[in-house]
Amino acid sequence: MTQTTHADALESAPGPGRPRRGQRRPESQLRRLARALEPVPWVAPATVLILFVVIWPVIAMFQTSGQSFDSMGFNHGSAGWSNFTKLFDEQVLDGVLIRTVIWVVVVVGVTMLVSLGVAQLFNKQFPGRRVARWALIAPWAASVVMTAIVFKWMLDPNNGAITVLAHDLGIVKQYNATNWLSEQVPAFCWEMFVAVFVSVPFTTYALLAGLQAVPAEVYEAAKLDGASVWRTYWSVTLPLLRPALLVAMLINVMNVFNSFPIIYEMNGGNANSSDATSTIFMYTTSQSSIGEAAAMSVVNFGFIIVIVLLFLRASKWNSAED
Amino acid sequence: MLALSALGVAGAMALTACSSSGSSKSSSAGGVTTINLLAADYGTAGTANSSQTYWQGIADAFHAANPSIVVHVQTIPWTDYQTKTTAMFQAKQYPDILEGDAPQEFAADNLLYPLTDVMSASTISNLIPVFVKQEDTNNIAYGAPFTTSSRVLFYNKKLFTQAKIASPPTTWAQLESDAAAIKALPGGNIGYDMPLGTEEAQGESLMWMLGNDGNYTDGTGKYAINSANNIETFQFMANLVKAGDTEAGPATQDRKTAWADFASGDVGMVGGSGALVPIINTAGKLQSADWGDVAMPGKNGPLTTPLAVHDDITAFNLGGHAAQIKAFLDFAYQDKYQEQFDNEYDLLPATSSASAALSASNPVDAPFLAALPNGSQYPTNSNWTPVTKKIQNTIGAAVASPGAASTVLGELQAFASSSNN
Repeated sequence: MTQTTHADALESAPGPGRPRRGQRRPESQLRRLARALEPVPWVAPATVLILFVVIWPVIAMFQTSGQSFDSMGFNHGSAGWSNFTKLFDEQVLDGVLIRTVIWVVVVVGVTMLVSLGVAQLFNKQFPGRRVARWALIAPWAASVVMTAIVFKWMLDPNNGAITVLAHDLGIVKQYNATNWLSEQVPAFCWEMFVAVFVSVPFTTYALLAGLQAVPAEVYEAAKLDGASVWRTYWSVTLPLLRPALLVAMLINVMNVFNSFPIIYEMNGGNANSSDATSTIFMYTTSQSSIGEAAAMSVVNFGFIIVIVLLFLRASKWNSAED
Repeated sequence: MLALSALGVAGAMALTACSSSGSSKSSSAGGVTTINLLAADYGTAGTANSSQTYWQGIADAFHAANPSIVVHVQTIPWTDYQTKTTAMFQAKQYPDILEGDAPQEFAADNLLYPLTDVMSASTISNLIPVFVKQEDTNNIAYGAPFTTSSRVLFYNKKLFTQAKIASPPTTWAQLESDAAAIKALPGGNIGYDMPLGTEEAQGESLMWMLGNDGNYTDGTGKYAINSANNIETFQFMANLVKAGDTEAGPATQDRKTAWADFASGDVGMVGGSGALVPIINTAGKLQSADWGDVAMPGKNGPLTTPLAVHDDITAFNLGGHAAQIKAFLDFAYQDKYQEQFDNEYDLLPATSSASAALSASNPVDAPFLAALPNGSQYPTNSNWTPVTKKIQNTIGAAVASPGAASTVLGELQAFASSSNN
């Protein structure tokens, strides 16, 4: 920009008229171009990376959903919209989508509630707080696959730790008689429990960071005004926690929506996908029909876009109110 | 935070797109031709029991007899076989010889030599006939059986005695009452273990279908998964489950778990092949007098055409070494190697001469071998591979309730008859 202004200034100075001006113009345009291209070497690697890692797979996914692949990866030509019609004709699809919504809402909801409480607790001074905080990280630090498998073993109908406990407490009458992980409702409940279990640590830490950022003065002011504990929480803590809450919630929603290992490891989504979410369903479908699985991916991708848009909207509302 | 699920499928496609026009790395240099053999490992990788050792032994002996041909051996454990080979094939990396997978889909993609190009007529005619037609695609054989097995009913004699059952069941009704009697014993035993989970649901299902004159296909080779007979079969199985005569939750039970449970002595009856014998011996809970095996019961009597399965040899045409492959396959199909394999892994041979020799020398295998020639097999339709996957993932739901069978089998039928991908 400076260069152009400078050039214009030179030209407006007394001296040669139009012809010279016409001669100079190509050179200044070249320079302008060079100026404009200057950032390219710096930005190009990142741009290429994004194109290659983010954009290209998305395009490939859309392409795949319109092709007819056999399980050896051979492309037998265009499939038109047939992969999508096949997907929407699946009798289990409605159940899968409903379950995905339940999964996200319940897991994220319970996680947020539990984490709010735990974060509040951990924000207090108490002996052994440091150890307790470290202990809370453990479920998060452990691999989700490992956690899921451990719970699966604990629920083994013959000798799992939870089964044995339930048997000793008289809840389970006989070994080998019930297998919670193979029945739709109990299995799904246990899977949601494990999902909450592995989501709480991160969420708690996000909220704890938010809590620690609340200045002590506002609490003193609330105290001076004689506000009750609950009143302080509702009117001071929660509003100030809102940015942390929103970020924690968005990350959780996406994480839980995409969650694969818990259900997959615990029972593979059960027979006929009876407790599969859309991610699990996409995986099982990919074993018998790659194109249809790609169609499911496109639908999943759509969901993610919608969730992100909703979040952007929510955070806008957030900043507007502030 | 893009949908990782999306990346999964797209990534697989990307691999396909990326890899250069691949053929196997087989080569001819200095008059020596190298051919690649990729095989499933039936033993434990890294031990003497590994199939790598078995194949390397053949390859070395073959090289000594044919100095101009080197066979490069690679084996993959069965547990990873599907995942790893699929990744290799999708990346267009093919061996010259593959042991393990069925030929239909490869043949449809024009990747295979017809069997007659890579095996001499005498070796072909020695293959057990009942398996040979399995290898056909449009009436041309593209593969050969390499190892086989047949399924029988294993039963726990200890539990049978405790439950005061005199003899093993021959009909469904007897199986039902025996399972109920074993279940009623104290200690939480399982009457009949029915593995309908993703590992082998297609095998367990077919064992039951055969007992009621059913199969996945009708007499003309068209899929008939939801035939009246099959629906009746699954209704019977669902009633067994409902009555608690099976393990809890058959829909997610894998065969390896069912076999391990039988070996640990808690299971009255389970369907199994000879490969269950070493598992029982390793577990050490049951002595050889404590268990027995009989033909799988059918609705009205024992199965005369039991489920018999086999793993295949296929030869890929991309490397262009038909003559060398032929020499090697004829060499590898000698009786001594077939018998060595079967003694090592408790499986059965694929050639008539080895079968005859083994019957004489191995009394444990004799009943399984006798069942082989009349065995019933999986369909040969070109989309059987994806249909198998669909069966493994869904058919367990057919025993969730007696009413579920027609819905679940109906969905499978619709998938099987419509899908070609």
